[in-house]
Amino acid sequence: MRFLIRLLLLFSPGLMASVCSAAEAPRAVLTAAILAKDEARKIELITSLAGEADDAIKPLLTAWKEDGLFLYQPSADVAPVPVQLTGEKDANDTQAALRVDSGRPLLDAAGKPVRLAAGDLTAVEHDADLRHAMKDVLDLLDLSTPDVAKRIQAIQAIGFAQDVGKIPALEKRLGLEANADARRSLREAVAVTRLKDSSETAKLAALKELRELHSLSSYDLIRTAMRDAEAARQTEIAVAARSALKAIDAHKSKINFYGTLFRGLSLGSILLIVAIGLAITFGLMGVINMAHGEMIAIGAYTTYLVENIFGEGLVIPCFGFSLSIPGIHATGWFYQSYFFVALPLSFLTAALVGIGLERSIIRFLYRRPLESLLATWGVSLLLQQGLKLMFGSNNVQVNSPVYLSGNWTVDDITFGWNRIFVIGFAALIVFGVWLILTKTPLGLLIRAVMQNRNMASCMGVRTERVNMLTFGLGSGLAGLAGAFISQIGNVGPSLGQNYIVDCFMTVVVGGVGNLAGTLYSALGIGLVDQSLQQILLNPVLGKILVLVAIILFLQWRPSGLFVTRSRNLDD
Amino acid sequence: MISKITQFVSVGAVALGAMVGSVKAADDTVKVGVLHSLSGTMAISETSLRDVLLFTFDEINAKGGVLGKKIEPVVVDGASNWPLFAEKAKQLLEQDKVAVTFGCWTSVSRKSVLPVYEKNNGLLFYPVQYEGQEESQNVCYTAEAVNQQATPAIDYLLKQGFTKFYLIGTDYVYPQTTNLVLLEYLLSKGVPIENIGGGFKKDDSGKIISAGKYTPFGHTDYQQIVAEIKQFSAGGKTAVVSTLNGDTNVPFFKEYAASGLTAETVPVVSFSIAEDEFRGLPAKQLVGQLGCWTYFQSIKSEENKTFVKAFKKWIKTTTVPGIVKEGRVVDSPMVLSYDGVYLWKAAVEKAGSFDVDKVRAAWKSGLSFDGPGGKVTTQPNMHLTKNVFIGESKADGQFKILEEFKDVYGEPWLLGKFKK
Repeated sequence: MRFLIRLLLLFSPGLMASVCSAAEAPRAVLTAAILAKDEARKIELITSLAGEADDAIKPLLTAWKEDGLFLYQPSADVAPVPVQLTGEKDANDTQAALRVDSGRPLLDAAGKPVRLAAGDLTAVEHDADLRHAMKDVLDLLDLSTPDVAKRIQAIQAIGFAQDVGKIPALEKRLGLEANADARRSLREAVAVTRLKDSSETAKLAALKELRELHSLSSYDLIRTAMRDAEAARQTEIAVAARSALKAIDAHKSKINFYGTLFRGLSLGSILLIVAIGLAITFGLMGVINMAHGEMIAIGAYTTYLVENIFGEGLVIPCFGFSLSIPGIHATGWFYQSYFFVALPLSFLTAALVGIGLERSIIRFLYRRPLESLLATWGVSLLLQQGLKLMFGSNNVQVNSPVYLSGNWTVDDITFGWNRIFVIGFAALIVFGVWLILTKTPLGLLIRAVMQNRNMASCMGVRTERVNMLTFGLGSGLAGLAGAFISQIGNVGPSLGQNYIVDCFMTVVVGGVGNLAGTLYSALGIGLVDQSLQQILLNPVLGKILVLVAIILFLQWRPSGLFVTRSRNLDD
Repeated sequence: MISKITQFVSVGAVALGAMVGSVKAADDTVKVGVLHSLSGTMAISETSLRDVLLFTFDEINAKGGVLGKKIEPVVVDGASNWPLFAEKAKQLLEQDKVAVTFGCWTSVSRKSVLPVYEKNNGLLFYPVQYEGQEESQNVCYTAEAVNQQATPAIDYLLKQGFTKFYLIGTDYVYPQTTNLVLLEYLLSKGVPIENIGGGFKKDDSGKIISAGKYTPFGHTDYQQIVAEIKQFSAGGKTAVVSTLNGDTNVPFFKEYAASGLTAETVPVVSFSIAEDEFRGLPAKQLVGQLGCWTYFQSIKSEENKTFVKAFKKWIKTTTVPGIVKEGRVVDSPMVLSYDGVYLWKAAVEKAGSFDVDKVRAAWKSGLSFDGPGGKVTTQPNMHLTKNVFIGESKADGQFKILEEFKDVYGEPWLLGKFKK
């Protein structure tokens, strides 16, 4: 009968679920195993549990191994009942007793639950052979955990151990497994284990399978097998192993190629996001804006504030007065959506600070670009110190929302959600800025004023107002960049300093005054940087080479990739 | 004219006051130097050490001081500027004539002040984990030597069944030397060289002069490195051994989490992240990652409970200007500073004098102190025997202790010690 059930189990996952929910079979098998007189029979019964998906097996076997199961025999003429003692001990050292065969409390003749003391009972015995059998069952139990990630981890652990005895269990699981990733891991595990098989044909078949799977995780084991085969002069296997390694190497190169492309694109997008604001304030307006980095920091701190207001609230050492800001204690998706509130707020805060800066200092310096450099540098120091006094000199923590912390893996190539998001958003920002500058009346005025301030003024354009709005737009875009930086890096008072050089580099390489140039130069620098890192496997050397390349490039084309031509005599 | 007179008078008054003060100082106080960066990049870490030192002095003074004299701290700011450290050390020794100095964080600041202490025969207590390869008679190293932090962590990982190790660090002397020692240690434990990741640099003779991957201070882009770790970790239980310093840990761990690597699959053991650093790190993304120190705030001993309570109380009531009062924690460098002061007190009391040579002789004779992290004992090689703990980080920025190594002897000379 049991054989029939097991046969059904093998072929019908649906049925398995319904049978197992009754929870009778594995418990009954275990009870039988405990009561069996013959050691071989015990092992046979325990081993028959392998691959079962039942919540009861694990705690019961563990309890058995750790002397937590007992035989209850009130009198010699009654058959003993295996029980498990659980729960708190009371004053008499007794605990609640659960029947192993049903999981229900043990009842006395009157139908009341019995409490037993461990010291009065005999523990169910076990020896090394039994424990070994139990461990095998427990190992395989993890093969059927409902969580796919854990399942794959268990499969890989068994595969790496290369125990030929586990193959039947793995193959059995392969028959039941529905998840594609887990199936792949199972095939890999079976093939990797077969490498230890004594027969040459099995080894060859395994190597062929691994070559087809081009599995990264089996690389080390195949290499070991290849060395063993070479040592034992089994040429055929060594050749097969080598070709499997070659296939995996090819797969690795493919991953690295597409990975590098993606990483280059994402680094380029970050450069683009942080530099596009500067492309407006420096590129279009001609203000050498050293405080651009601090606008990024203001955006990042705004995100930090919003995150904490959505959460628990926070206390900031605001200029020596401990300022407590209450939180709204949001949870779940509402909390996770804080980022979408933070984005416009970061833009607005930075834009307001930018407008304040323009009104108070920069408007006096439009004709004196070198002085604007010194003045804005001073402002950047002031703002840094202000941030320190307001939020403390330590970096602050910004927790990323869940949808920005996962990844999407295709054929072993990892695409992080935060990176995909950054790329998408960079595209959106560029499109938005292009729309504003070319399709709106404000854009028309901006272009006119930036080309020739005096002429535009003569034509009746309120240049003061346009200057203010343009500077606000550039600063606001820096604030948006800050919101993104907070998701991938540090948020601290000196955050801006890390990015200001990259920003200027991007804008200058692209050609001052040209937004399309900034776009191309950002993506170009990103791709070159990541490719060099991948080739040289050295993050520092890559960056140095990029800088050298930029210096050489600027020797060749001093005005950057795209030269803005105008009829202005000054240019 | 009048203002000149007032100026003169006030200067005179100040000078008189100072004279009176110094006369008084000679009688019943002893001057002790505190040499840490209170501004610049290292201020974040080093200010905490100043705080704990001032707390310890207050605690000792409240109980009668050292040899009946009250401790009078002379606090100077090294300003994260290494040559300035040497200047300030000179000032402490030659001008203020301090009996002892507690100070320095980075190895480069220690190397910078070392000649000053050796020339003037001063005494410096150094409390932060360092790379070894040094044994000055003028420095009491309360710090963790490599065999009190890095190698016990490797022992723990090997015991947990890890077979592959990826080394990564910030590019300066401590990570470079530590990773070279670790490379020798791993090879001596039978880990094949292809199972050690991060890359190697060899000199012309083929000798490995640098092991592991290095990034500069303030590096922000860890995409490629994390992708490399992901590939390296496929096919074997892998752990990442990180000596990344300071805030580069944030982009590293954010990238790490986003690429799907977790503490369950590929744990990171960090040697530069203690409770104090967690104040600026996204603790939730670091849950389950490992740390190894000679003290954790979560140690459950009476000494530790009393210490933590007393320090938090002191922080609340202190009037030291500019001290951070919110969210304070204690960590290993702070406790080693604390232990250092008490060991110095014990040495002075044993020697019966503040004289540096006598105090050093007392230190070498083997003194013990029951600190918050357990018993610490001084060694003839100027280092300390102490307990080492492996911990796993929790969401609140504290560590859950997983393993304890008792009474580990501090050994500075490790390069070339571990042979295959």
